[in-house]
Amino acid sequence: MEIILILKNVVLQFGRTTNGQIGEVCTPCAAWQTGREKVARFSKTAGGVGIGPAQGCICGEGGSLPPLRALKLALAMAFASTWMWANPAVAAEAATSAAPEVKQLADSDVNPADLPEADQSIKAKPLDQWTGLWNRQTMLGDIGGLRSWLWRSGVTVGLTETSEVFGNLSGGMERSHAYNGLTTVTVGLDTQRAFGWQGGNFNASVLHIHGQNLSSSSLGTIQTASGIEADPGARLWELWYQQKFLDDKLDVKIGQQSIDQEFMVSQYAGTFINTMFGWPAVPSFDMPSGGPAYPLSGIGVRVRARPTDSLTVLGGIFDGNPAGDSTNADPQLANAHGTTFSTHKGKLFIGELQYAVNQPAAGEIETGGKRGLPGNYKLGFWYNNLRFADQRYDDGGLSLADPASSGNAAQHHGNYSVYAVADQMIWRPSEDSSRTLNVFTRIMGAPGDRNVISFSANAGVTLTAPFEGRDSDTAGLGMGYARVGSHAREFDADQGLPMRSGETYLEATYQYQVAPWWQLQADVQYTLNPGAGILNPKDTTQKINNIWLVGLRTNITF
Amino acid sequence: MTRLHLSSLGLSCKALSLAMLLALGSVAQAADEPQGFLPTIKKHTVLTSTVPDNGDQNPYAIVVAPVSAGKIQKDDVLITNFNNAANLQGVGTTIVNYNPTTKKLSLFAQLPHELATCPGGVGFGTAMTMLKSGWVIVGSTPSNDGTTDTKGAGCLIVLDSQGKVADVWSGPNINDPWGNMAVIDNGSTATLFVSNAGFGVGSAKGAPPVVNQSTVLRLELTIADGKPPVIANQTVVAGGFGEQADKGVFLIGPTGLALGKEDKLYVSDALGNRISEIWDATTRTSSAGVGRTLTHDGMLLRPLAMTMTPAGHLLVTNGQNGKVVEIDPATGKQLFARWIDANRAQTPPGNGDLFGIAMNSAGDGFYYVEDDVNMLVLAK
Repeated sequence: MEIILILKNVVLQFGRTTNGQIGEVCTPCAAWQTGREKVARFSKTAGGVGIGPAQGCICGEGGSLPPLRALKLALAMAFASTWMWANPAVAAEAATSAAPEVKQLADSDVNPADLPEADQSIKAKPLDQWTGLWNRQTMLGDIGGLRSWLWRSGVTVGLTETSEVFGNLSGGMERSHAYNGLTTVTVGLDTQRAFGWQGGNFNASVLHIHGQNLSSSSLGTIQTASGIEADPGARLWELWYQQKFLDDKLDVKIGQQSIDQEFMVSQYAGTFINTMFGWPAVPSFDMPSGGPAYPLSGIGVRVRARPTDSLTVLGGIFDGNPAGDSTNADPQLANAHGTTFSTHKGKLFIGELQYAVNQPAAGEIETGGKRGLPGNYKLGFWYNNLRFADQRYDDGGLSLADPASSGNAAQHHGNYSVYAVADQMIWRPSEDSSRTLNVFTRIMGAPGDRNVISFSANAGVTLTAPFEGRDSDTAGLGMGYARVGSHAREFDADQGLPMRSGETYLEATYQYQVAPWWQLQADVQYTLNPGAGILNPKDTTQKINNIWLVGLRTNITF
Repeated sequence: MTRLHLSSLGLSCKALSLAMLLALGSVAQAADEPQGFLPTIKKHTVLTSTVPDNGDQNPYAIVVAPVSAGKIQKDDVLITNFNNAANLQGVGTTIVNYNPTTKKLSLFAQLPHELATCPGGVGFGTAMTMLKSGWVIVGSTPSNDGTTDTKGAGCLIVLDSQGKVADVWSGPNINDPWGNMAVIDNGSTATLFVSNAGFGVGSAKGAPPVVNQSTVLRLELTIADGKPPVIANQTVVAGGFGEQADKGVFLIGPTGLALGKEDKLYVSDALGNRISEIWDATTRTSSAGVGRTLTHDGMLLRPLAMTMTPAGHLLVTNGQNGKVVEIDPATGKQLFARWIDANRAQTPPGNGDLFGIAMNSAGDGFYYVEDDVNMLVLAK
């Protein structure tokens, strides 16, 4: 097809050149040929004074071509003729396309630059449901007026689908591949538009998780491959009301919340697929039931204040265990539909200080000078006041692996962690460029006596707009590490098992924006020392081998 | 004693004179300090959503009504929408009207996208004005699919004060009337300046080229009593500014126009990241090309719509961040920039949010739109 186009251009250019339109011509002539000057000349008829080609310019009829250019042209024509002789279909297509213009030029001496632009004759077409499918923000657009009708009542509806296929090329508990998907429906209500109450928002979201959890069935990793992996089923996720105060300097959110949406969030880590780039290993393993985070959520209150333009303080109190009273070992089964609404299983206290650098505030005045590259830095902690079992000792101080042990783990009052998050843009070629190079890191620790994971960290680099014309794409390279707590490791030794240590993974990913509503994401992950060195449950004679994992994800916003 | 007293009096007089001189000096020095409009702004107040019942989005042009006529009250704020409810660009067909007294938004005009007399149909851009005679003239930069792949040349549409189409102007001089209009309105005659950013612009696919074919067109109108304006004369007074198809913002081209002293027309050249001045704007009979560069780069970052303060300073919105920049056209100095949209969801903050700008009728503030959230805001 490209060759066809080239041939068309050769024919068209030849046609124009014979009329003196395309050539190595003197500057005034080149200027004359631009649409801008064409308009200037049109203005002459409307009362202005136009501009004409300079005398002596060869672009007019009868102008001759420089010898070298004539030779190039002859060669191009010879090549085109030969190609067309060998490919009659191509010749027919090129001739069909070129004929009208050549004919037009032959029939008259009209300068094509003086002809009306093609878009003068474009007719408006009726718009329908599928108009501009590839150019709009959502696949379904206005859904025949439904979205705008709901919007007038203050209601917004969101529907997204994330689907992915992952397979381990080598390593893991066994070689396998699996499909995994998540449908999210979100309904929001703006109280201002709905009934004139300023600053209020209701939000409800429902998840439908489908497919197979490859990490648990075949990989055996601590740091699971995909952030959407969870038990299949439909569940209520978030259900909250948020109210803004003091000109948006303070807001309060009450209800069932998934705190991974606001706490410990790294802006640039969100590009990656591995679970730990979302909700990290320390809270995932050390908070009861993994904490109030996807796919679970917890009842609580969150307050956010912005005392200065660069400082944000975030604090919340939530129920201590989103699984509620159930004794089911799988918290996602214990709270199978997200409707446990537990409020009496202890308390989780969480706080975060966020500091923005090189980021302007509304109303800020500048008189020049360049601002540095933007960054965000966060420092946080959490504390849970439930009782937590020691990972090694029983209530009499013996190892739980000791035959004389009571089997009742020693209990610690409370559990806690501190964490830090950093996001920083480190390079962009110019202030108006979409291309940016960004780095991020998150580190956190928790006591090793009562926690399976005592330390986790991840870090990475992302490059937006990596290629010309691909402004919405992102490429990323990241890694993560999780270390098993000291008592859990010692307990391994007590049992005569290989002592676990840490697990490391690397991830390379490329997010390709097919349309504003559709992303495709290729992903490769390599995990070293899977499970931190546990024996393979499907072959207890050896540890789980390092894993090469490849996958493809798609995100669709309907 | 007396002598001493006189002597000390003499010293005191000298000291007083010195103090006065110093005081005068400091006053003169203060007068030399740049006096700007932006530092006087105290607050940004969100006034209204600009989305009408049909769901049109992406507010672009802002015009403050100079008179009351038909549906419009003096000082009402008229706003065009460039996108439809599916957020496709170049297919917005509504003009909404915000009344600052009642604080209510109403629909002023809703046209069919398939307006046959306008090449490519209707998609309202930033070109709009309301004349003292009550006629509203608005530019269409239309598309059939939300991109420049199917863009038409568009037109200028004359609406009566009820929002009904009275006339449509198209032709070889008009191709996607894009930027905010500059107007001299004498009642029975008027002079309009409008930028055309569509000549030679093709598809936004891949890496679309910059085409230096945009124009600034001057239209001289005559307006008979009760009759729609008629074009008496049209002249391209400037041209050759860069224009480019764009996947994100449809197209980029010269957007802001403002008339200043000494018959100078100021043009914001978005791709050139500069403000140009065109001399003899109302009288010249030929194109001045891109004119003379008044200022470039600095705090400008893709300058878009432009307006003029009562003191004669230019205010121009940036397309690639949330700043409005104040420029003294007498010196070309960029005095101040104010972050009127610091939304960190974009990089840089406010990138792609700003477009239209217009002074309020009191001249002590300005209206602007945040097109990411479809809001009209007053900075005052």
